[in-house]
Amino acid sequence: MVDISEFFGKKRGARLEPSSRNKKRSTTTSKVSSKKHKSTPSNEKKNTLEAIDILNDPDEEQNSDNSLIMIKESSKIDKPTKNASSHSLLREKKESSDKGKARKVLSPPPKIKDSKLINDKKSISTPSKNNYTSVNELLMDIPSVDLDNVNVKDVHKYDFLNQEHEKETSMQQPPNFPEGAPECLLGLTIVFTGILPNLSRPEAENIAKKYGAKVTKAISRKTSVVVLGNEAGPTKVQKIKDLKIKVIDEDGFKQLVSGMPKGGGDSIEATKAREKKKKMEEEVKKESEKLDREERENFKRANSKLNSLNSGGGSNPINNNNNSKILDPNEQLWTVKYAPKRLGEICGNKSSVQKLKTWLEQWPTNAKNGFKYNGLSFRAAMLSGPPGIGKTTAAHLVAKELGYDILEKNASDVRSKSLLNETVKNTLDNTSVVGFFKPADSKNLENQNKFVIIMDEVDGMSGGDRGGVGQLAAFCRKTATPMILICNERRLPKMRPFDKVCLEVQFRRPDATSIKSRLLTIAFREKFEIDAHIIDNLVQATRGDIRQIINLLSNISSTTKKIGAENINEIAKSWEKDVALKPFDITQQLFSGSIYTPLGSSRFPLWKKMELYFDDIDFTPLMIQENYLNTRPTNLKNGMTHLQAVAEAANDVSLGDLVDKKIHSSAQLWSLLPFHSIISTILPASLVSGQMAGRINFSAWLGQNSKTGKYYRMLQELYYHTRLSTSTDKDGFRLDYIPTLKNSLLNPLLTEGSTAIPDIIHVMDGYYLSKDDWDSIMEFMVGPDVTEPLLKKIPAAVKSSFTRKYNATTHPVSIYTPGTTSFGSAKKDKPDLDEVVDADDNVPPPEDDQNKSTEDDEIDFKKDKLIKQAKPRSRKVSAIAKSSAGTKKRKVVKK
Amino acid sequence: MSNAADSKSKLDNLELPWVEKYRPKKLDDIVGNEDIVERLKVIAATGNMPHMIISGLSGIGKTTSVHCLAHELLFDNNNSNLTLEQKKKLYSEAVLELNASDDRGIDVVRNQIKNFAQKRVQLPRGRHKIIILDEADSMTSGAQQALRRTMEIYSDTTRFAFACNQSNKIIEPLQSRCAILKFNKLTDEQVLKRLLEIVKLEGNIDYTNDGLEALIFTADGDMRQAINNLQSTVAGFRLVNGDNVFKIVDSPHPLIITKIILSDSLDEALDQLKKLWNDGYSPTDIITTFFRVVKNLNQLKEPTRLEMMKFIGFTHLRILEGVTTYLQLAGLVCNLHKLK
Repeated sequence: MVDISEFFGKKRGARLEPSSRNKKRSTTTSKVSSKKHKSTPSNEKKNTLEAIDILNDPDEEQNSDNSLIMIKESSKIDKPTKNASSHSLLREKKESSDKGKARKVLSPPPKIKDSKLINDKKSISTPSKNNYTSVNELLMDIPSVDLDNVNVKDVHKYDFLNQEHEKETSMQQPPNFPEGAPECLLGLTIVFTGILPNLSRPEAENIAKKYGAKVTKAISRKTSVVVLGNEAGPTKVQKIKDLKIKVIDEDGFKQLVSGMPKGGGDSIEATKAREKKKKMEEEVKKESEKLDREERENFKRANSKLNSLNSGGGSNPINNNNNSKILDPNEQLWTVKYAPKRLGEICGNKSSVQKLKTWLEQWPTNAKNGFKYNGLSFRAAMLSGPPGIGKTTAAHLVAKELGYDILEKNASDVRSKSLLNETVKNTLDNTSVVGFFKPADSKNLENQNKFVIIMDEVDGMSGGDRGGVGQLAAFCRKTATPMILICNERRLPKMRPFDKVCLEVQFRRPDATSIKSRLLTIAFREKFEIDAHIIDNLVQATRGDIRQIINLLSNISSTTKKIGAENINEIAKSWEKDVALKPFDITQQLFSGSIYTPLGSSRFPLWKKMELYFDDIDFTPLMIQENYLNTRPTNLKNGMTHLQAVAEAANDVSLGDLVDKKIHSSAQLWSLLPFHSIISTILPASLVSGQMAGRINFSAWLGQNSKTGKYYRMLQELYYHTRLSTSTDKDGFRLDYIPTLKNSLLNPLLTEGSTAIPDIIHVMDGYYLSKDDWDSIMEFMVGPDVTEPLLKKIPAAVKSSFTRKYNATTHPVSIYTPGTTSFGSAKKDKPDLDEVVDADDNVPPPEDDQNKSTEDDEIDFKKDKLIKQAKPRSRKVSAIAKSSAGTKKRKVVKK
Repeated sequence: MSNAADSKSKLDNLELPWVEKYRPKKLDDIVGNEDIVERLKVIAATGNMPHMIISGLSGIGKTTSVHCLAHELLFDNNNSNLTLEQKKKLYSEAVLELNASDDRGIDVVRNQIKNFAQKRVQLPRGRHKIIILDEADSMTSGAQQALRRTMEIYSDTTRFAFACNQSNKIIEPLQSRCAILKFNKLTDEQVLKRLLEIVKLEGNIDYTNDGLEALIFTADGDMRQAINNLQSTVAGFRLVNGDNVFKIVDSPHPLIITKIILSDSLDEALDQLKKLWNDGYSPTDIITTFFRVVKNLNQLKEPTRLEMMKFIGFTHLRILEGVTTYLQLAGLVCNLHKLK
């Protein structure tokens, strides 16, 4: 057996003295981390206080003139040379170095982990610190970039792949960047454009955000500063010129960060931003006070209720654990404690929630109209979206707010077809009695005896829930109670039955801004600090999962009382969700050229690539096979052409298939799996890796494979039917008979029209072919013989008269008895029959009934079908008995 | 009574696997992953354990820390006066533990686990029932789906702890409900420290430094394997030195394989291989070690390594098909040499 973990993670270098080396490493890291923790625990608080102080100070509000526009006119005049006036010397040096670097921008910024070096740099680059009180003064000192000499990029070569790659590194902070005063960029709106020489875009944006600036992508009138790098888009440059915005380069940005005073100086923007921040803090405080109050009241009420119930029970030290009503909120999970209690408290997805609410509000009216008129008139609603963003909560709250009683079924209940019929079906037309027990003064009296059925985790129906999905879809069509269905993946094939029977309500991952205040409230109440700027990072790490973030905070806060820019990277990394990647992402990563270069392979070592394969061992090789032709290779070996690389990759893919056969065949050599990962996936991918030339396609092999199977079955059937008058094997039948049969069965129809029909029927009878067989023979033709255009040429009248005439007469049918030749076929067909049954399961019963009735009407069809499908003997016997009992069929039994 | 004592002494004579004998009983005893264990201690002290997923490689204390946590949650200072019998009863009532050896299909989740979650148990204030699902990555996704709402609805009384090797085998909705604790591989010092402790506690074990080094090397951060190997070396040879350890572990030494691959002279490489062969290592072991060594052999460039692995893989295939001759391995070594 293969222990997968054995193949990952184990890095056995050749080490002679492992212990000593490790010791060194661990001590250095611990030192660094301890330093990080200690450095700024109390700074933050002080800063905010100071910021408020500054606000109150009237003296400093004077120079709030914000004329940030300072593009030098002179630079436009002397265009060809680089000497753009005054600060030429410094800039020229810079620009030439920029040009040199532009060639190798792809390489990431140098990572220097030595803290000493950072300090050195800092001291060098911040000699002029704390001379400035406002952005304007500082910006005045920072040289503008000459826009005419900017290296404008070729628009056509937009490198998506590279951008994708940049995202991966976004969590790292560049180590050699000067540290600025906290919040120093507050109130500024910064746009980064082009490629900065030393910082990657996300890094630069991270820095700006860390210091409180607002980072936008598009340049507008509100933009205060543009940080320009190489290869900026020409339209952007033009826009900058038009709007006359201050432009700086990376060094200027560094200067800006290191030079600005705490709290962002005293320009209007900074003040406004501070005010906003203060307001937000106040709101948070208010909110949390409100929550506090509510909680206390709830607790009191519950307690008094309990006291009245068991008056004089005596205080019991052991809590009645299951009585959740009197549970101390401190014992609850945070996710429960801070779950939204009103619709308005749900973070994000406001429109979706509103849509759901409107739907439920209008439900009774629509019910009266029989769900005919407007777009919201569905009997059921389907909420879909990723986990942890409040779907279930929203469903519950909407129902509660409109006074509905809730009946919930989730994946922990068995939901098979029969059980749904037993339990849910009865309730569909029922009313709730909960309303009768409510106090008379409660609102929403009109809904008091109605309830809503919430079906949670519909896509979790599996295994034991046979036929449940189909049944549920059937309920959706006729229910007399509102139904809310919830699922994660709406697009799964098994969710198909719900198409067009439910109102679709999509929930999306909320963005950081809509979660921010909620998280700050929680942090305030739980008495730990969280930096508002780093919430973005949390959201990114958990992929917008609010519940996860709250869990994270609850867990982290037990030991750490402050979450800020210092420890966020560590936290985000350890909390990043390990979700098995989808085949598309895996393929994308495997084909990206950057991971196969010498540098890339040290950052993304071989075992990690193998891990990608092991994320989905079935699909990854198929996806590679499907897409290996679709790349523009960047890592070709010396002297190798694209075609050679492809040829070699193809060779490896086919070798991989051989290995796969060994693994999956009866030999079951599973220990070859790691090798298979290399030969089928990594080796071919490494040969042709580069940029994807187009979209990544889903493996076509599956479809082709099932098509092959289908044709084999059809051939098998034809072969059996004609067995009495042919003398060849199956392949021979396909190769020799079918082309000829097609000629004699189709061509006369085309040339002679309906007069040829009797002849054709005669030929068919001679070979014991049915009308269905006629169709399948036509389907078999490929290449220039393909019959589809020819079939279209047959006039409709001829076609229908053919069918009519065929049905009007009797035909010989060969019947093969089970136990001889057909036995093998029945066995082979078995898995397919299973599939058929499965598919039928999903179809709601009414349709089933219809099918049956049509089958009954067409006796001929049914007979044929029975013979073909080789059903169990008992039915066949009865069928034979029936057919012999006097229908119009003539039976031909094997001689 | 004498009967009981008898059986007890018998039990003492029978040697427990050291892994069990020296399994940590308290969170304090757990080696490595200090940050996480620290957090667990806080949880143990304050109660209100969140749902959690503990993931990491095997043999680094995932299951052990969950057990320790459960024990410390249930038996804190308030009720330390309970008798052993009572403790056992309380533990069995408040903790449901299922691992891969138990049936954990969707039916069990829907019946056994749900019933347990609904059950009422008298517990100290601030404590919850705990459901420990070990090796949760082997649960089917259907069973995991069925846990989702159960975890939420009964979260006031019941908390879940999952232990797994690969956290990506846990479906996203469950991850979203849990605190994720990632255990890291133990460092060599941590393993060494524990090994020395055990050696001291056992007494009369002769060991050499290179023996311990070999143990640590072969275990590769897996404490359980290190302790198991230690015990079997002691049981087999009494003396723990490098040679004995490698005899017990019985796989060709990776360093020798590295030498074969990197050797400049083919003759030398073949000599080394011959020596391995004559030592009696099985071809399958040799070839798998080849594969693993090449995978992580950073001295060579990746494209070269990939080509090498291709050869190794096909040799592996042939060996598995029954062609277990020296010729195959020698041919492989020649091919590899040509590639360099």
